[in-house]
Amino acid sequence: MASPSPKSPGQISDKSKKYDRQLRLWGDHGQAALENASVCLINATTTGTEILKSLVLPGIGSFTIVDGALVSGEDAGNNFFLDHTKIGKPRAHVATQLLMELNADVKGDYIEETCDQLLSNNPDFFCTFSVVIATGLTEKSLHSLSTNLWQNNVPLVVCVSYGFIGAIRLQVSEHCIIESHPDNLLEDLRLDKPFSGLKEFMETIKLSEMDHKQFSHTPYLMLLYKALEIWREKHDGNLPSNYKEKQILKDIISRELGCGIVKEEDVNTGGEENVVEAIKAVNTALNKTQIPSSVQKILSDDQCIHLKEKNPFWIVARGVKEFVEKEGNGALPLRGSLPDMTSDSQRYIALQNVYREQAAKDAEHVWRHVQLILKERGWSSESVMENDVKLFCKHSSELRMIRGSSLAAELDGKQLPGDVDINQQLEEPDSPWLHYLLLRAVNKFHTENGSHPGYYDDNVETDIAKLKGCFSRLLNDLGCQGGSLSKDDNLHEMCRYGAAELHAVAAFIGGCAAQEVIKLITKQYVPLDNTFIFNSVTTTTATLRL
Amino acid sequence: MIKLFSLKQQKKDEVPGRAGNQKKASAAQLRITKDINELNLPKTCQMEFPDPDDLLNFKLIISPDEGFYRGGKFSFSFKVGPGYPHEPPKVKCETQVYHPNIDLEGNVCLNILREDWKPVLTINSIIYGLQYLFLEPNPEDPLNKEAAEVLQTNRRLFETNVQKSMRGGYIGSVFFERCLK
Amino acid sequence: MSTTNWNGRWFHLRKVLERGGPLAHPDFQASNETLNFLLDNCKILVVGAGGLGCELLKNLALMGFRQIHVIDMDTIDVSNLNRQFLFRHVDVGKPKAEVAANFINERIPLANVTPYYAKIQDYDQDFYSGFHIVVCGLDSIIARRWINGMLISLLTYEEGELDPSRISCQQMYSHADHFVLTAFSFALLCGSIIPLVDGGTEGFKGNVRVILPGMNACIECTLDLFPPQINFPLCTIAHTPRLPEHCIEYARLLQWPKENPFGEEVAIDGDDPNHISWIYEKALQRANEYGILGVTYRLAQGVVKHIIPAVASTNAVVAAACALEVFKLASTCAPKLDNYMVFNDTDGIYTYTYAAERNESCVACSQIPKDLFFHENARLSEVMEHLSTTYQMKSPGVTTTDKQGRNRTLYLPNVSSIEERTRPNLKKTLKELELKDGAQLIVADVTSPNAIEFHLKLHAQMDT
Repeated sequence: MASPSPKSPGQISDKSKKYDRQLRLWGDHGQAALENASVCLINATTTGTEILKSLVLPGIGSFTIVDGALVSGEDAGNNFFLDHTKIGKPRAHVATQLLMELNADVKGDYIEETCDQLLSNNPDFFCTFSVVIATGLTEKSLHSLSTNLWQNNVPLVVCVSYGFIGAIRLQVSEHCIIESHPDNLLEDLRLDKPFSGLKEFMETIKLSEMDHKQFSHTPYLMLLYKALEIWREKHDGNLPSNYKEKQILKDIISRELGCGIVKEEDVNTGGEENVVEAIKAVNTALNKTQIPSSVQKILSDDQCIHLKEKNPFWIVARGVKEFVEKEGNGALPLRGSLPDMTSDSQRYIALQNVYREQAAKDAEHVWRHVQLILKERGWSSESVMENDVKLFCKHSSELRMIRGSSLAAELDGKQLPGDVDINQQLEEPDSPWLHYLLLRAVNKFHTENGSHPGYYDDNVETDIAKLKGCFSRLLNDLGCQGGSLSKDDNLHEMCRYGAAELHAVAAFIGGCAAQEVIKLITKQYVPLDNTFIFNSVTTTTATLRL
Repeated sequence: MIKLFSLKQQKKDEVPGRAGNQKKASAAQLRITKDINELNLPKTCQMEFPDPDDLLNFKLIISPDEGFYRGGKFSFSFKVGPGYPHEPPKVKCETQVYHPNIDLEGNVCLNILREDWKPVLTINSIIYGLQYLFLEPNPEDPLNKEAAEVLQTNRRLFETNVQKSMRGGYIGSVFFERCLK
Repeated sequence: MSTTNWNGRWFHLRKVLERGGPLAHPDFQASNETLNFLLDNCKILVVGAGGLGCELLKNLALMGFRQIHVIDMDTIDVSNLNRQFLFRHVDVGKPKAEVAANFINERIPLANVTPYYAKIQDYDQDFYSGFHIVVCGLDSIIARRWINGMLISLLTYEEGELDPSRISCQQMYSHADHFVLTAFSFALLCGSIIPLVDGGTEGFKGNVRVILPGMNACIECTLDLFPPQINFPLCTIAHTPRLPEHCIEYARLLQWPKENPFGEEVAIDGDDPNHISWIYEKALQRANEYGILGVTYRLAQGVVKHIIPAVASTNAVVAAACALEVFKLASTCAPKLDNYMVFNDTDGIYTYTYAAERNESCVACSQIPKDLFFHENARLSEVMEHLSTTYQMKSPGVTTTDKQGRNRTLYLPNVSSIEERTRPNLKKTLKELELKDGAQLIVADVTSPNAIEFHLKLHAQMDT
């Protein structure tokens, strides 16, 4: 759980100074998760070492490079972590050494074997890692690796940089996120369903007894609440729902509430700041209290209902579900935070405490449900900590869950996901599906010919024709009638690339993939679901779900 | 794509020396020149530029001709930074004044100087804002809380206090320098 | 195999540079000359050797660029080490540009990175015009605006039209022994346009843009894309604090200047733990008085220093996209970004690419500087007269810029204190005012939304 952040300079470690800029994003508990994690990189390609670079710098616990190849001249010209003086030496060793120079806190290890060798000699090898990253693997090896990791429930991130195209495929069977850090979070103010503590507090607020100064320093939430009371009396307790009704509510705020307190000329000059804020908040703060669909999906998931395994996330989710059905009256636990608003300190803090206290009460209810759940199943009462429940409740409206798909199944698949009209996609010149299929055709070519199309300067022309064959057979395999669509230009372009791994494309994919790995490890922010395509010709990206 | 340069194009090799030829005015400089040239001062306001070449640092003298502060003379310093107009200028009151929105250190509470600053605003907007503070001191959002409370509860006393402070003298334990014209 | 040009070194680049294709850019001609141009001629300036700068240097050096210059005025801090991967603990306190350049030059054979431990403002047009492309990895809006203005000032115009070729044909031919003039290269020539590739990051968000000064949206055109500084109202800070930030700002803005805890005139140093501690203690005290939760040392430092969160991955992504644009611009092997991409990987990986529009009345790039032809013995009053009659200005104010880049006011009619002191200038000749041929005059007048730039063309003889 969250370690307390430093309080005074004496307590600030060198580590927290070094990591200061990222601790502000994922906190000390995110950092702790990162420092306890171990990742495995298969093949120290440029893309691979660029990923590790952005994991070693922020302080991942340890990494292991699995690579059976030796450093080539091509590698040394393109890879910052493969020095030209080490041409002919084992790639795994050289890359590990140079990567470890980046951060003394990180442990590095290497194995001079290929992925295939490891899979056949030591199939449990990969199970110990938090995440496995694969680059430069053939389709066949990827298939075996994917199957192995899918069975062992280890997340796999596969990355490719091919000419001007890059791709990331994330394979994770299930990933649950408490702190998703959404950019635009709706306020949780419960104005439509005020809880008893809020009602009682609001009853003590008497606008009509205030003088002008007091009125103008009243938090807008109180004004909004009072205006809603007036509105409700006239409208059977319903909230204003449309533009016209909201206009009426705004009128109540600007004309009725301050009646006799605010002088007429103040109203004409745009009024008090808090009144202006209250009017604005009619559009933003008057949300219907409801459970977001992404959270509802979690609460009604099989895992939540049947609790098949002792997984803290699902246990607390179940506790929340029971809270929603009982004490919550259909609502999630209260978040317990307030936006800033014009107010004197005292009343703002008092109002804030009303929300905080209710949030604590809600979390307490959930905690009790959780304890009961643990007891009923004979699970240790320490399987879940109270602070975890508090954190979960605070973030209960931003929970996210990703359930991924197996890459091996994708490669074996006889069709693309149901909702994709591939013929239509292929008519668009820069469709990400086209680039997805081109990358697969290139792999098919490699499987059939043992080298990538256009790899050798002399074969470019003949490879174009061969790749064309691979592409149309791939489409056939996937049950597409794409034969009428000529993609000759794109196929030619893929042959032009000839498996070139451009450093900058690799660096782009490396940065993106590293962050996906950090998301998987820290369980903060939302990972990609599940295939990412980068087209650096058009400088565009897209996400496909396979 | 337009052709920007030739593969053969050679850019000069020698590492050039510093500051040789004509320097260019910065965007902030262009903008402040425009602001200053187009100042439209109210008759109660006067600008002083200690150095006519330095348009980034200057003083504004406000001599209100009505309201509580009639007859007083108040000086503000303006410091325009290179971030102008993305960032507002820094304005301080250099005359000690008994005023609800100006504290004894010269900090001024005027929305367009901080939270409501926008790049479309100009030096002139600030001058009008400051002038308005002397006509309509605002006790609702005070910096000098004592002054604000007096203004709110006893306008007569506030007026007396302002007069006293401008003539030079103590209000409570605080001494104010004379600032009558 | 040589130790610097081993077999296969440029294998990956050669594929896209020496092979054409139906989807390559129409202007692109596959040949080995492009790679040679990148290796030998193409001069790139990297502005900033921080999070983006370190990445840019590595990316450019591995994308075939060798003539790389990097400028940064900063020294290395511990908090840089989580992403600025060319720096180590022992480098703390040393100049970023120098350490970064050394690292690249050591790691990558024949890389020729030249560092400048200096402010961008220390250099002039001569310096900046020496580059083919400028790429910025900065966290300062002021610095971006300055570079933007500098590159716009390098544009040369003919007959009021943008002139992409700056150097005349004669000059070209005088160097003809260096060149093989093909129709292709002749059309390209030297541009007065120096493309500016600009990257920025904040946490998991970033942006990349390609600016062709004078041709598409510049930094100043889209100034409102930068998030405004957050300034809390002073009265809230003073009397009605509600947030921990309000308490910290109270300590910083009101208590510090009053108490001068470290002596008179000692400004707050965000890197001095004693200073931050003082602020933190005071803020905590105030927060406790009001029952406000959440004041921490980290938050105090964040507020005081305006710290922007930063992480290695976002820097890697944005710098890679910038390097790709430099590569595409320099080689034309693929079309450039038109002209702005935003990136955000908080929820999946999201990007959005669009063409930011020019601002027709942009203070920096909307106007083509006009020439003013005068004899060096003409008086300033004649120039003023000319502005009033020819340009129908009402009461123009005229300034110029001295050698140090400082403003020099020639005449400002509307502010009496300046008018009085600059009035004598009206009677002086341009020569007496030490205005040289080519001097920049800034003219402000109510008749135009922006200050207008003029270039003084002086002549000594009456007949020229």
